[in-house]
Amino acid sequence: MQRIHCSIIPPHLLTRLAAVRDARLSVASEAARHALLELAPLLQVRSEVLRAPVRPGSAVMGTLTRRISDAGGREDLPGTLVRREGAPATGDAATDEAYDGLGATYRLFSEEYGRSSIDGAGKPLEATVHYGSTYDNAFWDGERMVFGDGDGEVFGRFTASLTVISHELTHGFTQYSTNLEYQGQSGALNESLSDVFGVLVEQRELGQQAAAASWLVGAGIFTAAVEGRALRSLAAPGTAYDDDVLGRDPQPATMADYVETTSDNGGVHINSGIPNHAFYLAAMALGGRAWEGAGRIWYDAVLSGSVPPDCDFRAFARATGEAAEKRFGPGSREAAAVADAWVRVGVLP
Amino acid sequence: MRIEITRSGGFGGVTRSWSLDVSRTEAEQRWLPLAAAEAGTDAEGPESDATGASRRGAAPQGGGVQRDRFTYRIAIGYTEVYLSESHLGDPWRELIERARAAAAPGAPAAAATPVPGSTERTGPVGDADPGKPEELL
Repeated sequence: MQRIHCSIIPPHLLTRLAAVRDARLSVASEAARHALLELAPLLQVRSEVLRAPVRPGSAVMGTLTRRISDAGGREDLPGTLVRREGAPATGDAATDEAYDGLGATYRLFSEEYGRSSIDGAGKPLEATVHYGSTYDNAFWDGERMVFGDGDGEVFGRFTASLTVISHELTHGFTQYSTNLEYQGQSGALNESLSDVFGVLVEQRELGQQAAAASWLVGAGIFTAAVEGRALRSLAAPGTAYDDDVLGRDPQPATMADYVETTSDNGGVHINSGIPNHAFYLAAMALGGRAWEGAGRIWYDAVLSGSVPPDCDFRAFARATGEAAEKRFGPGSREAAAVADAWVRVGVLP
Repeated sequence: MRIEITRSGGFGGVTRSWSLDVSRTEAEQRWLPLAAAEAGTDAEGPESDATGASRRGAAPQGGGVQRDRFTYRIAIGYTEVYLSESHLGDPWRELIERARAAAAPGAPAAAATPVPGSTERTGPVGDADPGKPEELL
């Protein structure tokens, strides 16, 4: 049961929301009904929420607010506001892809998990497109997502894959939940969460069952000149690309191939292959909609309080195991699938 | 003198390397002092990594709130400096641009050189010119 510690929504709106019978809004509706029962202890909860810089749970229902800006090929942020919430499509592919991608990501967290935006408090979603000249990257700067157009030789524009947009926005979710340190194993977990929820956003938009999904991150951003399907594969880490210029996808799938390196903040984009693959194995064992089973468990684990900023793989594995038992019961097939997945990637003995 | 630039991290986590040969004079007058200055800015220790350069020989740590940014390792002869993309000064940007331009298709073949120990490369195989021995250091 999601709890809404809601001080923004007036009670009449809660009442309306609680009465909604639309299946797509079932989580929000259930949360609103619960919130109505909770109005009395609200003040105490709110004071706790305001005291903590990191919000452990969904706090307030808000509305989706997107703002897309255009850097015009410069590296100055935020750039010029070109599309705000509710405005029609601009006709610029990157702007409209970013707008739609933020909406899809917001909907996963809101409609499936009952979280209002990345911070649980309705934070507006900010993005900048057309950043820099031939800029080969997309990043989260702590406040906004930023997308380059690529160099045109190896990378095309980064908004071309929904998973890139959802990956970046999930960095915001992680910042406001566990704030996993961006170094070594905790950093690889930070990256993995972005990949996991990144692919779940796409799977949900496409209505794909686990077995039908590509499990790829960044499909469609390579140019035709590159030998590769995507940047990462949760199904088969290390196989996403193998190219003359880029080399080979360096991701390991198990602890036996864990990469010790000083580059990339200790290999945060490399060793994320291990928790990524654990998620894939759990989701495939459970079948069906991955965002409802394994995704729900991962989400619960992140907000459980058992994932500290310096969390390592083993502690995260335990947190997901506990989350599975809590939601689905000890001895449930979900708990067994999660435990087995972490054993198979060598994180748990 | 050869300058080797290795870029890691970024959303894709794809490591790429470029190199550039500059005159010993240019290296000594421009790039080595700059590298020394970057190393000196890290007097406060690893915590100051969020503000840019890190100590010579020490890779940047994941401070700050930025995610998926690039990290650069720039080696000038035996001197190496690690830099975060988010605090890359204009001179370094110019150097990286030069190295990338030199590695672009149609550029002089000597520009594209694999970094030892790296599986990544720029440009077609076999194009690398190791340079005359006296230019290497």
